[in-house]
Amino acid sequence: MSTPSNSLSQLALQKFKKNFWGVFSLCFIIAVGIIAVFAYAFAPDNSQNANQMHVSIASKAPGFSTTMLVLPSQIEHHQNFVDALFFGEKNTTTEIPITSYSMTGNTIHYMEYASDGLIGLEKEVQVDPTMDPHSLIREQRFLLGTDKYGRDLLSRVLVGARISFSIGFVAVFISLVIGVFMGSISGYFGGKIDAFIMWIINVTWSIPTLLLVIAITLALGKGFWQVFIAVGLTMWVEVARVVRGQIISVKENQYVTAAKALGFSNFRIITKHILPNILAPIIVISAANFAAAILVESGLSFLGIGAQPPMASWGAMIKDHYNYIILGKPYLAIIPGLCIMFLVMAFMLVGNALRDALDVKA
Amino acid sequence: MSKTNLLTVKDLSISFVSDGTTNAIIHSISYHLEPNEILGIVGESGSGKSVSSLAILGLLPKKISKITSGSILYDTKDLTQLSSKAFQQIRGKKIAMIFQEPMSSLNPSMRCGSQVEEVLKQHTSLSKKAIKAETLSLFEKVKLPDPNRVYNAYPHEISGGQKQRVMIAMAIACKPEILIADEPTTALDVTVQKDIIALLKELQTENNMSVIFITHDLALISEIADRVLVMYKGEIVEQNTVEHIFNTPAHDYTKALINSRPSLNVRLKTLPTISDVMNATVSTVELTPQMRADNHKILYNKPPLLEVKNVEKEYISTSGWFTKPTHFKAVDAVSFNIYEGETLGLVGESGCGKSTLGNTILQLDKATAGRILYQGVDITKLSASETKALRKDIQIIFQDPYSSLNPRIPVGKAIMEPMKVHGLYKNDAERKEKTIAILERVGLSEAYFNRYPHEFSGGQRQRIGIARTIALQPKLIVCDESVSALDISVQAQVLNLLNELKEKFNFTYLFISHDLAVVKYMSDQLLVMNAGKIEELDDADVIYNTPKKAYTKKLINAIPKGL
Repeated sequence: MSTPSNSLSQLALQKFKKNFWGVFSLCFIIAVGIIAVFAYAFAPDNSQNANQMHVSIASKAPGFSTTMLVLPSQIEHHQNFVDALFFGEKNTTTEIPITSYSMTGNTIHYMEYASDGLIGLEKEVQVDPTMDPHSLIREQRFLLGTDKYGRDLLSRVLVGARISFSIGFVAVFISLVIGVFMGSISGYFGGKIDAFIMWIINVTWSIPTLLLVIAITLALGKGFWQVFIAVGLTMWVEVARVVRGQIISVKENQYVTAAKALGFSNFRIITKHILPNILAPIIVISAANFAAAILVESGLSFLGIGAQPPMASWGAMIKDHYNYIILGKPYLAIIPGLCIMFLVMAFMLVGNALRDALDVKA
Repeated sequence: MSKTNLLTVKDLSISFVSDGTTNAIIHSISYHLEPNEILGIVGESGSGKSVSSLAILGLLPKKISKITSGSILYDTKDLTQLSSKAFQQIRGKKIAMIFQEPMSSLNPSMRCGSQVEEVLKQHTSLSKKAIKAETLSLFEKVKLPDPNRVYNAYPHEISGGQKQRVMIAMAIACKPEILIADEPTTALDVTVQKDIIALLKELQTENNMSVIFITHDLALISEIADRVLVMYKGEIVEQNTVEHIFNTPAHDYTKALINSRPSLNVRLKTLPTISDVMNATVSTVELTPQMRADNHKILYNKPPLLEVKNVEKEYISTSGWFTKPTHFKAVDAVSFNIYEGETLGLVGESGCGKSTLGNTILQLDKATAGRILYQGVDITKLSASETKALRKDIQIIFQDPYSSLNPRIPVGKAIMEPMKVHGLYKNDAERKEKTIAILERVGLSEAYFNRYPHEFSGGQRQRIGIARTIALQPKLIVCDESVSALDISVQAQVLNLLNELKEKFNFTYLFISHDLAVVKYMSDQLLVMNAGKIEELDDADVIYNTPKKAYTKKLINAIPKGL
């Protein structure tokens, strides 16, 4: 008992640490977060949006490897290192999968790659005399295979994590700002204000997310920002309801009456005395909302009203490849599907662990 | 012992396990229950009195508790070794139990009649008709008014006392040999408590059963029990007949328990606490009627600090769209004055409007009619900023020390916060200094500054609540049942503290309580409230010695007097 502070939040933290799946999932989420932020550093294909296409090697199985002839771009883009790290290289080299090559001086003779046992075209290319022609040839392995445009699936998955992650954050942030505000005033003041806000909540709840996204897309144009906003705008309702219910029960506590009797302002009572005490359910519903936002985004991308090509998004990747499932190449859709599943599950597990941990009764 | 014992508890030890550590709650207690007797078990919260009786019924939570040693012998069977199947034959049929909270121990979605019938169905082979007849006769036995109505009523449709009677009917339905009553009257008003006690006693003699009566109230147990066990920290410190316990208590703790409760006859200046008794430093300085009278002469010659004039508080409930809204007057045309430096006691049963009146004075509830003048200014018509200024002067000390402190704010900060909001003192350093001074004033120390409320005991929390209240240096403090949730020994300490602070800072108290003994001890003037109206207002001693109204007489008669 001699430790200076033994707050409830610290007790909760200690309890959380003991939950293996909670900690494991949290580590997983943090790892995914780091990967999402530094996606271009990890991705084999660090072009913008991981959009390096090689049509001749479309939809190859995981582990596929080929010899690649890389021709530097003729157009020079000036791009600093940080920009390239976070947004991908703008310089587009031309990559040509080849089966064999020979060199005479500055000329490379090569045979283009062709799948299904076909024989590719023989071509030749002149290389800049200042360059060593051997440096243009390299062996490339596609760990997760390629998609239907011959793009590296691994790079697409890594870059696609950004969308899923950011939609989670933005939607949860928007929903928290609106939801906590609306829920607080509704629950704290009650009466007519409560009735009015509940009416707004019920109306908002009855609008399908999809419809709202379509409406917002109509007004603001297609794109992933519109999806962020639309998801946030539909999600605040749940937060508001939870906050309202919690506040109604917490405000019956004597410490709230005490705060009123001590002459504290309503703003102070809500922010300092009520909200810290209902943090647990808010955190839990935020974790659930995070997961739900990821699912909604993939759903919207699948329908084609989410992130627009060439931007990589897990939902859009499933959409691009779901018809391959019956063509014997299910991995193209399954890999992003598994990513969504693991991330959502990690959030759910963290949410559950937090719920158990924050439920500390002294 | 000539008679055979009905129940013998021998060397019973119980431990609770949490996070791998075992805490011994009961330390090898032994006692017995004779046929046809009422055995009282007295102890404060946490003394293990409820745990030991739950063990008899095998109702201890299995996962976190363990009977480490000892036996409970009943009818040649050891109850600690019994399987849960075998227990079902005993529970309800041979040994029955009544709980403290009649509000939550009845199933709110079942009619009272069917809840009693369920017990009979489980343990007897009577026909449906016979069961109903039996139930109605049980309701008659426990003196429920209009048994037919109660039979068809849901729990929320009957009063607390009636619910407890239904509970008793359930418990005695199978004519058990042993009835365990765990604080059966604590949640009830004194007048109801008196009736329930009388009923229990009557049923006991009628059915020849044995009763284990558990309570924290010594005076109450003296009225009902034949023998008394006194429990303290998981041990039985004393067991003897009622006469012996009360007239010649052997253990210091028993003495302290008996003395800590404010006496109705003499008014000691400070109440003896447990440590006083243990160290034999009990002060017997009395506050004589003469001293009181002298003091009152000075008090009541000054203009009143607070005048309450014809205050009314009406609640309107609209239950349905088409029903007319019903009006309910919680406070009805109440007028009285509070003078600076006095303690005005306000006593009444639950629902009489005493807390509403307190809240109205604090401006937490708005009065629907009437005026409240504080130092001559009508505070019912103040603007928001003026009300905030008033908050500094009129303060409240709450009942429940567990819910009146924000669990997420360290106590030091909680005490500093009101000072900050009201702009007292120059900076945080000065406020912190003041806070530590106040903490020391209420018997805590600087070391507690950064602790969180859950690290304190009930009594300590109440001190922190008091510290937070006096941080604003108010003039008038409303004590709303401030000591009702505390154990008797702690209660004495807090009452002493309140009196000490009053002397030092010249506070004025409005002391609200349902406990007449405590109110009488604290008050200069006494206000008796019933159904929203003032029944009587006079000097506390005058009211107690010569009550004029029938209601006051009833209230005074209902107090358990002890021996």
